[in-house]
Amino acid sequence: MWETVAQAVINGLLIGGIYALVSIGVTLIFGVVKIVNFAQGEFVMIGMYISFYLANQFGIDPLLSLFVTMPALFVIGVLVQHFLIRRVLGPNDMPQIFLTFALSLLLLNLALMLFTANYRTVHTSYSDEAYHIAGLYIPVAKLIAFVVAMFLSGALWVFLHTTDLGKAMRAAAQNRDVAMLMGINPDRVFCVALGIALALAGAAGSLLMPFYSAYPFVGQVFVLMAFVAVVMGTLGNVIGALIASLLMGIAESLGIQYVGADSGLLVVFGLLLLTLAFKPTGLGGKAR
Amino acid sequence: MKKHRQKSIKNPTEPDKTLSKRQDRRQFLIKTGGILAAGAFGAVPLRGWAADPVNIGGLYPSTGSMAQIGVGCVAAAKLGVDMVNAAGGIKSLGGAKLNLIISDVQSDTTVTRTETDRLITGNKLSAIHGCYASALTMIASEVAERAKMPLITGSSSDQLNKGRHYTFTPFARASQFAQAQLQMAKLVSDKPKVAVIYENTAFGTSTSNGLKELAPGEGVEIVMFEPYSAGFTDASPLINKVKASGANALFSLSYLNDLILIVRTVKQVGLNIAINGGSGGFVMPDFYKNVGKIAEGLQGVAHWNHDINDDAQKVNVEFKKRTGDFAFEYAGGLVAQTFMLADALERAASADPQKVRDALSTLDVSSGYAAMAPGGKVKFGPDGKNIYGRPVGVQWQNGDLASIFPKEDARKPLMKM
Repeated sequence: MWETVAQAVINGLLIGGIYALVSIGVTLIFGVVKIVNFAQGEFVMIGMYISFYLANQFGIDPLLSLFVTMPALFVIGVLVQHFLIRRVLGPNDMPQIFLTFALSLLLLNLALMLFTANYRTVHTSYSDEAYHIAGLYIPVAKLIAFVVAMFLSGALWVFLHTTDLGKAMRAAAQNRDVAMLMGINPDRVFCVALGIALALAGAAGSLLMPFYSAYPFVGQVFVLMAFVAVVMGTLGNVIGALIASLLMGIAESLGIQYVGADSGLLVVFGLLLLTLAFKPTGLGGKAR
Repeated sequence: MKKHRQKSIKNPTEPDKTLSKRQDRRQFLIKTGGILAAGAFGAVPLRGWAADPVNIGGLYPSTGSMAQIGVGCVAAAKLGVDMVNAAGGIKSLGGAKLNLIISDVQSDTTVTRTETDRLITGNKLSAIHGCYASALTMIASEVAERAKMPLITGSSSDQLNKGRHYTFTPFARASQFAQAQLQMAKLVSDKPKVAVIYENTAFGTSTSNGLKELAPGEGVEIVMFEPYSAGFTDASPLINKVKASGANALFSLSYLNDLILIVRTVKQVGLNIAINGGSGGFVMPDFYKNVGKIAEGLQGVAHWNHDINDDAQKVNVEFKKRTGDFAFEYAGGLVAQTFMLADALERAASADPQKVRDALSTLDVSSGYAAMAPGGKVKFGPDGKNIYGRPVGVQWQNGDLASIFPKEDARKPLMKM
């Protein structure tokens, strides 16, 4: 009995790590730039395809391709901010929503055109392996993904709290106008925020590749969870999004185990409603 | 169309001098090109004393979500026609060659309706075949019925045999697939305890209900019957549940991506369970490419397999030469279908669709490429169903699909896991 519960919790935690990478990106962009990036999932998809082609053409392990996908997506993030998002920042939210939504549709359909709708998988020596401990099992690829995800989240936290640029980003998140009055260049801060957020999406793509298939719609699966995590963990709060993502992973897993295999999301959304009912600002309290 | 273009080019309201100069050149090219083309086509009537070719329409999704399979179907359709023509064409029509006219139905039901209509009205056809996916074939079959155009298909939906006079289905039906799957569970264990997991939309729900109804009659106990939402991120919780149910066989009615996750997770858990992945995407070469070695030993069902007889193996060799992959069930079945049409045309001695339909309804073959089906015989009942049609149980062995069930169709022994 306890084994089944423990296994469900482990499964949930591991997938929650991936949700966290996506949702931290969304919450970072929202916190700093104050826009909702509907295209975040598509950037995960791009990360997956980069990893897939590197593995397929050059035999590079998807985990090593982190060193390609993260810089590549960082650059894409800076470009997207500089050439697209910067132009729609203003008092009116509508153009921003349309922009990122349009970007999502564009990338999705471009991928359909370029890569077709086929599923692409990468085989690594550890793809199908698992550690077996005390009647429980921990899939190797997911464990690696979880550890790297937690490391990247930790690194981001350190960056935000110890470096000048990180502090500037937090300042911009807390109050953009005051931050600008203090001499912080918002364009630069926003570019870095977009870059980091997309680099995390790219990392999620690379980490997913050893155990998940790449296909044009793959981002949609993860972005929905990311939005829930961002709201549950308080908009703009990085640690909140992290904790909410892990909780959601566990909730989904337990839901499938004890409510029904098609009710995983039901439990997740139930958890979201409960959170909003008792803590309307989300688990994280204030944006940090 | 050419005329129309020339008209617009000659448009006198065009003011720009440099542009019109360029257009003069374009016009020149069009005219000279036209003359050259006329010369090229002019050669055709010289061969005119050979019999007129017989037009066969093919409707396949060569773009869209089913594109990859659709492209494979088109390759098979061409192979079938080439084989019939190489063998001398339709002798009763003076050695007339088959001419394949392919139309792309774009994996879309609306497009299927218009394309079927367009194909039938725009060409002088004798018969059509298509469309791989049952959902698309259902629509093409409705249109063909109204146009009184015979349609032959490998699609498995039982609905295709209801109230239709022009649709012919030479291969096993969906209901027979479910029964075969249940019987295969008994290969693995004398007391099969089956866990059925199915994605919770039309495809999974209808197929799983068929399994549930037939299970008691086949002496198979279903210990878990669980719907799930397709497109999950993680199969572990579901497999955790299968493990807890104590099942010794797992039927997964899933789309390809979910199935890949499920198979990988079963392996990670170290669960010793016989998996039956059904048909469709599971019996495609791509499944093995995606899943790799852990696909070994997995079972499924198909309406055709490349090892059922010598003719099928010959088709497989040729198909592999052309596409690089083994002939999947629909591809091989489609070559057989083309030969069934050729047989009907031969006996009808006419390219008239009505006569071809009547000849199909009296088709009765037990040898040659036209009889290349599990069971080795094709004869249509009044509902257009092959009365000898049955599925073949298959297993992934060494990267290839081997027929293992039923006994009379088994070409390799069951690989025990």
